[in-house]
Amino acid sequence: MSDQSTRRVKASAAGLYVPLLLGAIVTVTLGVYGSVHTPTGIAVNVAGFSGPQTVKVWLASGAALLALVQLVSAFAMWGRFGANPPSWIGPLHRWSGRFAFLLTVPVAVHCLYALGFATYDTRTLAHSLLGCFFFGAFTVKMLSLPKRGLPGWTLPLLGGAVFTALIGLWLTSSFWYFTTIGVRF
Amino acid sequence: MKRNGPIITLLAGLALAAVLITVNLSLTKGGGEPDPAGLGAAVASAAPAASTPPSPTVAASASAAAPDAPAEKVNATWAGTVDGGGATIAIAVTDGVAVAYLCDGKKAEVWLQGTAADGKLALTGKKGATLTGTFGGGKATGTVTANGRKWTFTVKAVAKPSGLYRATATVRNAKVVGGWIVLPDGSQVGVVTVDDVPQPAPAIDPATGAVTVDGAALTAAPVTGVLAEN
Repeated sequence: MSDQSTRRVKASAAGLYVPLLLGAIVTVTLGVYGSVHTPTGIAVNVAGFSGPQTVKVWLASGAALLALVQLVSAFAMWGRFGANPPSWIGPLHRWSGRFAFLLTVPVAVHCLYALGFATYDTRTLAHSLLGCFFFGAFTVKMLSLPKRGLPGWTLPLLGGAVFTALIGLWLTSSFWYFTTIGVRF
Repeated sequence: MKRNGPIITLLAGLALAAVLITVNLSLTKGGGEPDPAGLGAAVASAAPAASTPPSPTVAASASAAAPDAPAEKVNATWAGTVDGGGATIAIAVTDGVAVAYLCDGKKAEVWLQGTAADGKLALTGKKGATLTGTFGGGKATGTVTANGRKWTFTVKAVAKPSGLYRATATVRNAKVVGGWIVLPDGSQVGVVTVDDVPQPAPAIDPATGAVTVDGAALTAAPVTGVLAEN
């Protein structure tokens, strides 16, 4: 994979246009939906919502844990831990990624449906922005994967963006919850 | 398969989201799961009335069909999050006298009082704040308008220790008014106003109502009937 850019196939970022466009549409759609859906009244108050919150906290933590698996397996796939990574690294990366993504979906649905895009404080604003960005970035990553002839930096950059966004989301929600409200099930 | 894998992943996520949203919609519009028995309110019907949007006018006809006893004086408490999650509301009714409190747990709060009878809620507050709505079938639905803002809500009946609490006192010559909503999951939302400056309320002990505000020990009492003038 890493020698992709040095192959005779001319690497071009042009193949990223469509994935980036669709990813941008996802991000903007989520943001607009979250904003339109929010009442024009006062901003999100975390104490105001009940049972689903702990569910979300743990789903997000599961996704964050899998994201760490993603990071390590990605490094292994790119030969950072030795030239010949074991053959199960690829499937591990793909399936841990799928499960991580599927874990985030219920969280995002609850966030968008029940809470909406919020700008009450820095944490909620960062969380809202990262949440919209995450699904857009993930879309770009997924749509870029099957494409050939993309520059060598494409997948590390996109994967890194998705990973960073997810960890940021976890820090602004679950970690915040654990440290502010406590570790609850 | 390998090239389609990522696309399938995306579509699977999309499908999961669609299912969840559908379930959400039907839960919001239907009755949802049965609630702990309300104080004198009819038990929530388990059959979801999926075609009933939570608008006051339509809900009025629905509540007329509900097996409420409108002739009797109403005793009930409803509490929950307003639509969209921006604030929490509690309505406590004692013998038909209703007190409602809406707050965000940070600084925004509205107290209202009025009546609950014949399946209808009609409350007013300071500065022209109003609450209109309907109740029946273990839940209350309506609209609050205050400070140029509008909230809609559909909240379920709750039982003690969940409900609406209030404390009024004078602490070092400062007038203190606190309101707390305790939800069935044990979480609390409250605002304390000290000389008209609102701030997030410290948690009360729902069993005793004990709370410490600005170093002074107060007792928050469940709201029953007309609010004490303060």
